[in-house]
Amino acid sequence: MNAIGILVIILFVLMVFVGKGQGVKAFFGLLCNFLAIFILIILINWQFNPYIVTIIMSLIILSIAIYLGSDNIEVTNTAFKTSIIVVAILMILSIVIQHFGQFQGFTTENSEELEGLSLTVGLPFGHIAMIVMVISILGAVAEAAMAISADLSEVVNRAPNMSSTSLYAHTRIIGGQILGTAINTLFFGVLGANIPLLIWFVRLRYPIAMFVNAKLLMAEVVTMLLGMLGILLSIWIAGWLIVRANIKQQKMGITHERNI
Amino acid sequence: MTFIKQTKKYIVVFLAVLFAWIFLRHDAFLYTNPVGQVTQVSSKRVQKITDEHNNSDIIMTQHLTIKLLNRNQSIKLTNNYAQSQIMTSKYRVGDQLLLEKIGTNMHILSLKRDATVGGLATLLIGLLLVYSKWRATSWLLFSLVLNVILFGLTLVINVQSKNVNVFLLFSVLAILLATGSLLLVLGKTLQMGITLLTTLITTAITIGILVLVLRLTNDAGVHFETMSYVTQLPVTLFMAQTIIGVLGAVMDEAADIVAMQFGMRRENATRQFSDYWHAGMSVGRDIMGTLINVLFMIFIAETMPMVFLMLRNGNNWTYIMDQIMNLGILQTVISGIGIVLAIPVTSALVGWIMSRKVSRL
Repeated sequence: MNAIGILVIILFVLMVFVGKGQGVKAFFGLLCNFLAIFILIILINWQFNPYIVTIIMSLIILSIAIYLGSDNIEVTNTAFKTSIIVVAILMILSIVIQHFGQFQGFTTENSEELEGLSLTVGLPFGHIAMIVMVISILGAVAEAAMAISADLSEVVNRAPNMSSTSLYAHTRIIGGQILGTAINTLFFGVLGANIPLLIWFVRLRYPIAMFVNAKLLMAEVVTMLLGMLGILLSIWIAGWLIVRANIKQQKMGITHERNI
Repeated sequence: MTFIKQTKKYIVVFLAVLFAWIFLRHDAFLYTNPVGQVTQVSSKRVQKITDEHNNSDIIMTQHLTIKLLNRNQSIKLTNNYAQSQIMTSKYRVGDQLLLEKIGTNMHILSLKRDATVGGLATLLIGLLLVYSKWRATSWLLFSLVLNVILFGLTLVINVQSKNVNVFLLFSVLAILLATGSLLLVLGKTLQMGITLLTTLITTAITIGILVLVLRLTNDAGVHFETMSYVTQLPVTLFMAQTIIGVLGAVMDEAADIVAMQFGMRRENATRQFSDYWHAGMSVGRDIMGTLINVLFMIFIAETMPMVFLMLRNGNNWTYIMDQIMNLGILQTVISGIGIVLAIPVTSALVGWIMSRKVSRL
């Protein structure tokens, strides 16, 4: 039997066992996101406008990741708002970066895989490089936004009358902790994914000049840096949104009391 | 008032990025290879071609005038590129190029990207410093640098020695990376020890499951031969990739759960095993979905350029899923298993250790 099939079944069973209903939802969310990426690829392949397709599919992927991840409406709404702002910023940034860095396509290191393939396919790979950057950060942004929103909403629930300065201090402390671990996750994820490429560079004794300029490696580094920036901005903006909402709510509470 | 202070900080970050960019645009003297800047481009459309799959593309020829920045001369080069820019690239005025001299001919090695990447890195570090305190940021950056050094050393050992056990080598690396990062973040505490222990146990079980399933099925449906940039046995390389990838996610999750459970103990030290177990499971449930998504997005996005190329080359989806996305999907699934397993392992381990402490008191 197919090894991947068995592992998928193991994953599903584990998710149901550990997560119960939420586990089923999370598994379903993964399948939906896979489908979303599938549709994204087909639409880009049909030459729809890459920017519009990326924006729409990013929104769909983010909403699946966030709204299927938790039941708490306050948490998910804040996380979703945050992720949209962050992904918008990062998308603009990745367009700028792609303009200067030209990270598209393949290089001679890929010759073996490219054998027999037509390389004049009429699809602008510059756009695809931008799409790859945006898609790879979506998960990290959603995760960071969810983590900080969930933690802060618990703080607010435990002490609803907390002053905004004190809440702000809390966002900084909790934010710092999430930042450290989330950046580590992303860092190890990217590092792990690139072991073969790095070994290739070391084994063939690439000069240092290539380590800091080569397209393949720099594309990965840029993706990682954008992801880290995404995590940082998520924590920052989510904290800011929650503090602002808290101030508004307290003000409303005061006027409400006056009216009574 | 605070707003003005903040604005000042952002201006400093902006200036730092600008400075890094300008410096790296003028760092040609650091290179031994010739580095040039394109000063003039004349492009000409050569031909429109249609390949066997009915894709039409346009081939262009550029005549580039390049001023060498670390040699005192100017050269002229011709460059052909297809408009889709899959293997070939279009160059623009102002682009800096890394060149190589073979015989008497210069040829283009790569676009010089250090200014772009350096600028982005400076932006990240600058914003990190504005957001959190100097000390916290420097610890974080220090741990990243330390990890890169450890990782680099492992790669060199892997390449230099001929009959090293790759699997063992990267397992040792994983233990060192986990210990180093957690020590730097949490300090030498019981909390750190437990987090490290659960991280390592979970990673080991996950890899165990992977190896077991692969053995039982004889690698059915898994195409290790499709891995890119392979210079050694792909199976162990894949294991190494998985160990490192799973480690980060599991560490993140275990740290969250353990921190929460320690918070519980601070509130009330006489809790039972079941209290810790249920609390741990409930926190884990909330974060597992989004955490699996993080790795899923990274692994799938990585395969996308090749998927597009294969689609355009008239391959069907079954073949692409089987050949191109195969290892990406496997990587996601196995990481997912690790992330889910971390929840019961952490909850049980912490619960067991804590409740034993209570009964000893």
